[in-house]
Amino acid sequence: MLGELINLLIFPGFLFLITISFIYEWIDRKFFARIQGRYGPLYTGPSGVLQPFADFLKLLSKEDITPAACERTIFSITPIVYTAIPLIMLSVIPLNGRAIISFEGDIIFLMFLSAMVTLSVFLAGWSSANNFSRVGSVRAALQMLSYEIPLGLSMIGPAIVVGSLSLSKIVEWQIEHSAWFLWLQPIGFAVMLISLIAELERIPFDIPEAETEIVAGWMTEYGGRKLALLRLGKNLELLMASMLISSIYLGGGVQIYFLPPLVVLLIKSVIILLIMSLIRGIFARFRIDQVTSGMWSYLLPLMIFQIMLIQFGVD
Amino acid sequence: MSLLKEAIKQVLKKPVTIKYPFEPGIVPPGLRGKPIWDMSKCVLCVLCQNACPTSAIKMIPKGPDAGIIYWLDRCIFCAECADACPKKAIIITNEFELADFSRANMIYHYKKGEASQKK
Amino acid sequence: MSYGSTIKIPVGPQHPALKEPEYFLLEVDGDFVVNVKPRIGYVHRGLEKAFENNTYLHDLYLAERICGICSHAHTTCYTQAVEGLTPLEIPPRAKHIRVIMAELERLHSHSLWVGIAAHEAGYDTMFMYMWKEREIIMDLMEEISGNRVTHAINTIGGVRRDITDEQANKIRKFLDRFESDMKGYIKALENEPTFIKRTRGVGILKPSDAIATCAIGPTLRASGIKNDVRKDDPYLVYDEIPFNVIVNDGCDVFARTIVRCEEMIESANIIRYCLDHMPSGEIRIKAPRTFPPNESLGRVEAPRGELIHYTKSNGTVKPERHKVRAPTLGNLLSVCKTLIGAHIADVPLILAGIDPCFSCMDRILVKRV
Repeated sequence: MLGELINLLIFPGFLFLITISFIYEWIDRKFFARIQGRYGPLYTGPSGVLQPFADFLKLLSKEDITPAACERTIFSITPIVYTAIPLIMLSVIPLNGRAIISFEGDIIFLMFLSAMVTLSVFLAGWSSANNFSRVGSVRAALQMLSYEIPLGLSMIGPAIVVGSLSLSKIVEWQIEHSAWFLWLQPIGFAVMLISLIAELERIPFDIPEAETEIVAGWMTEYGGRKLALLRLGKNLELLMASMLISSIYLGGGVQIYFLPPLVVLLIKSVIILLIMSLIRGIFARFRIDQVTSGMWSYLLPLMIFQIMLIQFGVD
Repeated sequence: MSLLKEAIKQVLKKPVTIKYPFEPGIVPPGLRGKPIWDMSKCVLCVLCQNACPTSAIKMIPKGPDAGIIYWLDRCIFCAECADACPKKAIIITNEFELADFSRANMIYHYKKGEASQKK
Repeated sequence: MSYGSTIKIPVGPQHPALKEPEYFLLEVDGDFVVNVKPRIGYVHRGLEKAFENNTYLHDLYLAERICGICSHAHTTCYTQAVEGLTPLEIPPRAKHIRVIMAELERLHSHSLWVGIAAHEAGYDTMFMYMWKEREIIMDLMEEISGNRVTHAINTIGGVRRDITDEQANKIRKFLDRFESDMKGYIKALENEPTFIKRTRGVGILKPSDAIATCAIGPTLRASGIKNDVRKDDPYLVYDEIPFNVIVNDGCDVFARTIVRCEEMIESANIIRYCLDHMPSGEIRIKAPRTFPPNESLGRVEAPRGELIHYTKSNGTVKPERHKVRAPTLGNLLSVCKTLIGAHIADVPLILAGIDPCFSCMDRILVKRV
């Protein structure tokens, strides 16, 4: 019982994941800065590694403002929901050889939760009674309509081959056959990467929080502790996305010689993170109608084609 | 996608920004910074006061305070005063980090026959 | 899609896309703008009155502070107007130095604008790269003139500082590198699908509309109309310099980007020509303190378009009247025309497309009775 609790709360559970998520933000910021010829975070800790944590602490100590016109309950609850969902999603991913929670059909559970993230984003923006937030939340919801189905299908692809809807089983299958789904289903990998970038609201899909158009989008009214939680949730989502994709398509956590599964998973997810940062660096932002039409007319047919290939036994 | 090559090149290169307050900034030799008065050369001819577009210079012709009063906070660093000075008594330095918390600290009083002095 | 009724969306005076306070009331039907009402005058600074209260030499520094980006264009235009009061012929070397500074300033202003346009389109890496180039140009100008922004190199009757051979070589070396880098950036912009998707076909300004709304500068040239004060009414030594007026038939934001990028390469050529053909000799002549009663007009092609300074003297040390027409005022009507029919998400990009400098523009105070 105590072991379980330590597993859930400390290692490799919540505390560990939150710490790692700050480091992921630092890697993202640093790499993005280096692409642009800047230093990035520099002074807090060695090479600024503590900067995301310092930002978090600073935000915690700031005044917490709730606009008078907003829906008070929803406005206050959504940051907590937004932070909690990625944590739950992370506990489904087999981190250290096995997942904290694992059951048949947990991929469906993951899909449900990833839709919940966007729903909480929509509620957050809608409840803050601000024009920018409203536009941002509507854009977030529209974007969800476009990426949700390709994302779901890209998770189903490997599941069809494995014959199980459990993430742990997919990872085990890849270890057993020593084959990555990246090589078996490259289209699925690309679709999943693109859809996850859209879910993370990063360039080129940072439309819901397009800085030059709608300030901070759905986050405009948030400040202080709530913003700190939202940022933490964003980091956790980033961590979750990179770990999810490396679990499904890159073979996940596996013991290589003396390297424990967790370290292997971290290395793989950092590679995914770097790819995402690179993409963030070399693209411009799309417009919302371009995203919706592009996702439906290119990504979805591609993914259906991939599933057809699997069905016909080409893998 | 077209920036991919350039982006990867940048990652391998040293960043172009400098850590300015922690390492010295780039100061070209001709930078127009804070002007200082060499009172041994100054003849109190009032030309610098007339040349100044922002009235940052005031000349006091006689009395114990005779000399130049210079308001750094009003100065726009155009160096018109140095151009106007017939005796080349005004030297334009390279100094550019001139911020202060109090405007009172930014008033300089150069008295005739004395070295530079803060008021 | 039309919803029958329209809603009004204010853009400004405080808006993330606008770096300066200005107000545009957009009438929106669904996702499309159907009507725009601009309201200017938020940063009225009373400059023209201030011009009347200062001497000609002091006004030079006031003119320099009209705009933070095209400060040299404003002083060039001001000196041109004032020197025209008693036709005052400045030395040829001074003219060349003025041209070199003006073109360096065009390089810096255009690279700033391309960065801003990329930033509005969410293309932050291009923004950083362009501003990196801009920083080097600023350092170069600082070395020549003594300051990064307010160069104070122009004076009535010439220029205040000479360009040494060492500096000239430094500029040449920079230009060679800049030109090859800039060509790379142009290629990158032309081949970046996301940037093209955001800018091509956005903010169409037809040539007939451009003429009808008095558009000027790169905005007009991006609509395919050859118009450049440097060519049409040559000042300084522009009549001796061979250069092309860059035009583009795209009429959209993308064309405006490409026009500016190619103008930078053309400016680099102008600077090179000037450095090679710079005569030796005096750099300034003594200017009178008072000017006889007369009136004079200065026209300069500032980076943003045609800039006009009009001055009227009355025989004293102060001008009787000084009028400034900054380029943004000329482009304001055209941008309102362009905005009609645009997506709301494209509004910041289109507004940025004219390279707005509202603080330079605000001379007029509209009084509502």
